[in-house]
Amino acid sequence: MSTGTASLPQAPRPMNLVAELTYRCPLRCSYCSNPLAYRDVHDGLDAGAWSRVFREAAALGVVHVGLTGGEPSTRADLAQIVAAAAEAGLYTHLVTAGMPLKEAGLAALCEAGLRSVQLSFQDSEAEPSDAVAGVTAFETKLAFAGWVRARSLALSLNFVLHRHNLPRISEMIELACRLDADRVELANTQYHGWAWLNREALLPRREQIEEAARAVARARAAGNRPEIVFVLPDYFSDRPKPCMGGWGRRTLVVAPDGRVLPCHAARSIPGLEFWSANDRSLEACWTEAPGMQAFRGESWMPEPCRSCDLRAVDFGGCRCQAYAITGDAAATDPACALAPQHDHVVAARLRTASGNPRPTARHRGEAIGPDGGERTPAGA
Amino acid sequence: MSGGGESQWLAPAEFEARLRRIGEERYHHRHPFNLRMHDGSLTREEIQAWVSNRYYYQTRIPIKDGMILSKATEPAFRREWVRRIHDHDGRKAGEGGLELWLSLAEAVGLSRDEVKEQRGVLPGVRRACDAYVAFVESHDLLESVAASLTELFAGDIMHVRIAAFEKHYPWVDTLGLEYFRTRTSQAPRDAAEGLHHVLSQARTRSDQERCLSALERKCEILWSLLDAIELAFARPRLSPHAQLRRDDAEAPALVVVPERAVKLNASGLEILELCDGEHNAREIAAEIRRRHSEASDPEADVHGFLDEMSRLLVVEFTR
Repeated sequence: MSTGTASLPQAPRPMNLVAELTYRCPLRCSYCSNPLAYRDVHDGLDAGAWSRVFREAAALGVVHVGLTGGEPSTRADLAQIVAAAAEAGLYTHLVTAGMPLKEAGLAALCEAGLRSVQLSFQDSEAEPSDAVAGVTAFETKLAFAGWVRARSLALSLNFVLHRHNLPRISEMIELACRLDADRVELANTQYHGWAWLNREALLPRREQIEEAARAVARARAAGNRPEIVFVLPDYFSDRPKPCMGGWGRRTLVVAPDGRVLPCHAARSIPGLEFWSANDRSLEACWTEAPGMQAFRGESWMPEPCRSCDLRAVDFGGCRCQAYAITGDAAATDPACALAPQHDHVVAARLRTASGNPRPTARHRGEAIGPDGGERTPAGA
Repeated sequence: MSGGGESQWLAPAEFEARLRRIGEERYHHRHPFNLRMHDGSLTREEIQAWVSNRYYYQTRIPIKDGMILSKATEPAFRREWVRRIHDHDGRKAGEGGLELWLSLAEAVGLSRDEVKEQRGVLPGVRRACDAYVAFVESHDLLESVAASLTELFAGDIMHVRIAAFEKHYPWVDTLGLEYFRTRTSQAPRDAAEGLHHVLSQARTRSDQERCLSALERKCEILWSLLDAIELAFARPRLSPHAQLRRDDAEAPALVVVPERAVKLNASGLEILELCDGEHNAREIAAEIRRRHSEASDPEADVHGFLDEMSRLLVVEFTR
């Protein structure tokens, strides 16, 4: 604990930097968590500016950077950016779709100091995987995984789960074993961005989640590798997720245009003022920006959060979800069974159990009709 | 997943074949530690660790069987099953399987009393054995009996083991092998009874599936027990994917791995710095004991810590 530094009004030390290098991506996944208005967010930081962000982040206490997007390898200066992060002393972790990066490009990133790679897959087999991605990508990803392994980088696979691929969760784990991954993340869809727009098409049935949890338990018990990360989705667990480990607490996100955010979806909440790393020091953007302070700590909490024993466990859940569902970003996260507006989540769950046909998911980038998705376009 | 045949009840022969296939694929006769035991390449220390750790498993068996008895409503079933407790505990002091195991402990050069006190039991072994008891506690009679069907495969492994000990480990007094000899006849008899119960009482496909899962789970438990022993002799080192940071005077030491930073306290850092790929966990624990005579149980601390660090991908093990 440092004392007497007046410039730090109880802002905790961030440990993790999410560097969204660009929102460009060759894939068009229907659950993309980028803002609906991703096209309006331009790449505002060049490699030199990112280098400054990394040095300032390290000085704030950050030890790990996730280089993500969009697809980070659509940037021609990615190797320079990786080198800058490594020079700043950060643990360098690349989150990629495995394309358009080629083997030589990956070698250059290794050279620059890359330590680990998270490779996304949309499914365990080519056809449904490519259908979600909206492009032919599966075979390329398999090859990419081999290149990662050949270079002794850490490899984790990421699958975003939804009603159409949950039945193949065991096959996803098998794929991770076959590709000799260190880790596999089976991440239930978070309903932000395009996923929120497509939630009726993506939300699984409860039995699918239960069956998946059993499959994970069987695989975990069967052996040590790869490590399996699977968390029950908050729509079904009746408890909110500890979103980002708390707003403005451990993780800071820098968006492609330089905006410093507490999470990748925070701009979906209107009226919050975030600052840009182009205009101010990262420390100021983290500690002092009104948007960063809006939901930091516990003083913003309504009842029942304010007096709840779990408030230090889940930090009040997800603000973006509270806003998307209730229109009030300070409301108790409706995923929580104790929330006054939990019935919205229950109703969504019940709709998944009905036999009614589901709408078809729209790919990222497709035209959005007047029914819209989010309450306001993101990216403001 | 949902082909029409999936929900059909399996004929007993097919059901039994599926149970046996689980054993062929997943029973611990295929575990690398057992393969090395049987081909003669375990060290004396490894044999001793196996005997003393496996004793903890032996002590859980009558507890598990008592739980199974408490679930049974048929006198005939209980009459049969209670014999297992007698087999293990004996009819009077100094008899039974547990006593025979302690004789094995002496035959491999351990102190009977130390093994009985279970001081050196590895955390991973304890967790595996406790998981078995917890499984039986939380599942019904049918699944509990199905879990015991690893005995279907135990008879064979006992024959292999006796031959391997006689051939490769002549320093073990053959009188100590009496436990294995008694199990060559007890295990097939117990297994036949358990199998009969499962085949006749699994009345729906869903019952059968529960039995198959229970047997899989039990195989996994036995497997992870040996994993834990094997790990105690492997030499830990910092994973090449991990970055140890102790540069910052303000902050605690950290290990950073992909998507995770693990805080280390002083003793964690000390243990991690001893993970050089040259020394195994027991040797590291001995070094900690040498440095800190006040430490109450450095073995448990070191094994527990390495277990956790290995789960977090911070350390890896070499043989």
